[in-house]
Amino acid sequence: MPLTSESVISFGNGNGFQAGPTACQSGGRAYYLRLERMPRAMEDLLLYVTNGVFMGTSYALVALGVTLIVGIMGIINFAHGEFYVLAGYFSALFARGVGLDPVSSMLVAVVLVFLVGLVVERILIRPTYGEEMYSLIITFILYIILQNAYLVIFGPFPSKPPSWVSGATNLFGMFYYGNQRLASFAAAALVIAVFMIVMHKTWLGRVIRSVAMDREMAAMLGVNTARVNMLSFGLGCVLAACAGVILAPVFPITPTVGVGISLTAFVVMILGGLGSLTGCIVGGLLLGIVENLGVAYLSSGYKHLFGFVILILVLFFRPTGLFGQKQL
Amino acid sequence: MQDAIVATDRKRTAMREFTPWLIALGGFSFLPFILGPYWLNSAITGLFYVMMASSWNLLAGFTGQVSFAHAAFAGIGCYTTGILSAKLGLHPLVGLPIGVALSALLSLGLGALCIRMGGIYLSLTTLGFSEIVRIIIQNEYEITRGTMGLKVPFIIGPYSKTTAFYIMLVVAAAMVWTVYRIINSDMGLRFRAVLNDETAAQALGVPVMRVRVTAFVISGAMAGLAGSLYGHYLLLITPHIPSLDMMFHVLAMAVIGGLGTLAGPIVGAFLLEVLSEFVRQFSDKYHVLVFACVALVFARFAPQGVVGLVASWWRQATGKEGAQ
Repeated sequence: MPLTSESVISFGNGNGFQAGPTACQSGGRAYYLRLERMPRAMEDLLLYVTNGVFMGTSYALVALGVTLIVGIMGIINFAHGEFYVLAGYFSALFARGVGLDPVSSMLVAVVLVFLVGLVVERILIRPTYGEEMYSLIITFILYIILQNAYLVIFGPFPSKPPSWVSGATNLFGMFYYGNQRLASFAAAALVIAVFMIVMHKTWLGRVIRSVAMDREMAAMLGVNTARVNMLSFGLGCVLAACAGVILAPVFPITPTVGVGISLTAFVVMILGGLGSLTGCIVGGLLLGIVENLGVAYLSSGYKHLFGFVILILVLFFRPTGLFGQKQL
Repeated sequence: MQDAIVATDRKRTAMREFTPWLIALGGFSFLPFILGPYWLNSAITGLFYVMMASSWNLLAGFTGQVSFAHAAFAGIGCYTTGILSAKLGLHPLVGLPIGVALSALLSLGLGALCIRMGGIYLSLTTLGFSEIVRIIIQNEYEITRGTMGLKVPFIIGPYSKTTAFYIMLVVAAAMVWTVYRIINSDMGLRFRAVLNDETAAQALGVPVMRVRVTAFVISGAMAGLAGSLYGHYLLLITPHIPSLDMMFHVLAMAVIGGLGTLAGPIVGAFLLEVLSEFVRQFSDKYHVLVFACVALVFARFAPQGVVGLVASWWRQATGKEGAQ
């Protein structure tokens, strides 16, 4: 539908325009523009689904890292969201403080978080192999340490790296959607695609999957399983970091957003099936769409509750998740 | 004759085992006469943490299940009795058992739902549950007054820190005694069988799931009781009680004191409470960070905790094997 002269466009809750009942705003600004036109129901639905797909892709990206670590090492990384936050802070720091361009600041941030992940695995996680309880306790304590360290170092204020692009694009001729969101969506989808190709088509992916399938057999065939563990923990952190640098321009980083990120990742992981990468992607998209529709049509205060309700339903009716407990 | 000797022997070992506990309890009951109101408050908070850490230890230390919903159950307990007494005017002593019962019921539901899927699911689901409880309490402003906190009456009679201290002391002692009885009973044997080797325990006919759920429910109910009492002492209950921050304090105390020992959580609770007072004098910003670093060092390098370290040092010093 072309933009006609009588359709008026405005941000947010301007005169005669609605920001819609969604709570998804970034930095106080509505993320989309809507044309003044009736009827609304179809547009609304499409808008919520679009937003759901965007959110779902981000959820999938975050959850892939946790799933990789669970699949290979059998360890839940409760500090996953904190690595996301760390990468967000790094990218903001390098872009605003040091003055690098967005792409190189993002790359530096991801590489730094990868190194942090390797160090954490070597020093803290490796001694707990075979003792599930202590690995849970240690990553939980790590989450508390990192969250409080961010609070002390960066303060409680939101921090945001510069946007890559500005403006908005008309989608389906119905509403305008922020370009930064579209760019983040594309980047997240790209990272997921590259990761899946690496896991399924390359030598490295085969080695990692062999360890997930049968650790002892892989070790007998000459795979250095300790090294693979370290690498996959690092890779899990890289996925969290990618999500962090991609989403930070949309959702500003604060020291406490990490918990929400981790919890969402866990819900997606259980929904998709513990250790299933495909399940993770499907679960992420599903959660994103359901959450957005739920927020739109039911209640916005209980955004996280929808995820938890899904979690309980999954545990009740299909405890192994949508894609079962299969190998990577 | 033989039997009589064995019996007296057993009685004597039991006496020797209990003496330090009774001395500690006796010492504690004199605290209100020594401490000023500020430190008495710390002692009461410490007793609350003793209850929380001991009951969490029953779950984590003796059956190997890491639950992150312990603070949430305390919150459910304290908000249940708090709302009943503040909004409906029920006496706290009537609300208290209802709060405990609700905590136990919810932990039964949560436990039955996720324990059959294994340890990782339990930790994940309890973490989610904990956040959900906090979110609901914060959002249901009309009922819980959100982050503003809900004013609740004192447990019994006029407000007095001394009364609160003795009530908390009696309940904490009873709780530790209950934990002791449980871990030295058949049920405790089953707990440890499940902890050491789940498959072997199952093969020998231990109903693993039922044992785990039982431990989860007992510990949840204890958390509910601790939370309700503490809430009625504070007179103002806030979403801080069911927060992950509180959960971390409990976890850190049990880990630093020594998981899987009776004395560990008690030592850890008071150690950290005193430490927190000192760090707070220095700066209010860092005390969680300091705790977390200490807890991380213990979890990584000395998983046996303070109690374990002291015990092994004592064994070396006296050259005796098998001493407690």
